[in-house]
Amino acid sequence: MPRKISWFTGGILMALLILFTFSIWGADRPIGASTYVPYFAGLIFGLDPEQYEYMKEIEAAGAWEGVMLIGAFLGGLFMSVFVTKTFRFSVLPALWKERKNHSVASRLFWSFTAGFVMIIGARLAGGCTSGHFLSGASQIAVSGLIFGGITMATVIVTGRLFYKKKGE
Amino acid sequence: MIDRFIHMFEIVGAEGHGGILTVLFIGFVFGAIIQWSRVDKFEKIAGFAMLTDMTVPKLLFFAIGLASIGLYFMIEAGYAHYHVKPILLGGIVIGAILFGIAMAIFGKCPGTGPISVAEGRIDVLVGAIGGIFGGLFFTWAYPWLKTIMGPDYGSLTLPELFEGYESTVVLIYGVALVIVAFAIPNIEYLDPEDHEEKAEI
Repeated sequence: MPRKISWFTGGILMALLILFTFSIWGADRPIGASTYVPYFAGLIFGLDPEQYEYMKEIEAAGAWEGVMLIGAFLGGLFMSVFVTKTFRFSVLPALWKERKNHSVASRLFWSFTAGFVMIIGARLAGGCTSGHFLSGASQIAVSGLIFGGITMATVIVTGRLFYKKKGE
Repeated sequence: MIDRFIHMFEIVGAEGHGGILTVLFIGFVFGAIIQWSRVDKFEKIAGFAMLTDMTVPKLLFFAIGLASIGLYFMIEAGYAHYHVKPILLGGIVIGAILFGIAMAIFGKCPGTGPISVAEGRIDVLVGAIGGIFGGLFFTWAYPWLKTIMGPDYGSLTLPELFEGYESTVVLIYGVALVIVAFAIPNIEYLDPEDHEEKAEI
């Protein structure tokens, strides 16, 4: 089996998975992947859905995505160990070292902060790359197109401001 | 906590959006495709932010272009349904800006995060813990936050704006995205630490 697939093969497979998930033979719902995070926060910290309005609102979607993401974790683990053979413990990504710094503390600080902000952003917007982009833009939903356009622009602007230029 | 974890499976089993095994299968394939095409990597997502790796936008545009056409005809035939998210304008604009900033710095999104953790990335695990606290904060602050999420302009799709020409709009949109996917330069940052090479297929 090849150790890596291209954007082309990956795109076809992802399109087929989106269609299967939407179909009545699959889950009859879109793929989503950010509601599970506050849902897991609720499980870990024992937040009572009767007391927290948001917990009650997301209970069904959060549970579905929670189970799906357990599957995604297992799929990622299987592929990284047996097919792409890329499993290894690491802290600093190669490109971070090249364009930011060699500090473990800096990477962990920014990871934690960005993870925190990311979930607040996704839940304010009501979706993420999966819900708004893969699923939303596939339905040509206006909400998904607005989210996708603003996110892509912000990603590129942040990339320009946050990292060093190539060869600097 | 264990009770609630088991209850999570009970909710999915009772919900009618695919059985537990189907949902696990969808997740497994989702994780496998993303890990196999390596788009869970920092080098691919933050690499897009730095414009040194275009795999992510190429894959996304291509997948969405193909899926949009397929999905439209599946819905027309009754094999799928629309699940359109509402246009909560304040929430989407503020949320997308925060999300974009975080995505460029973290080099992950909520779907690719767990897949990266599964290949041994400690920094992503720390970011995921940050995410859990973000979810906790959001849940706690929701009664206030929801006041800035509106106004709600309802659920709308682009083809609905062109009554009578829906299928034409879908075809133009789908084909345009596929063309964009091919037109984006095929540049890639090959990670020396992963001994990464260009994919053959």
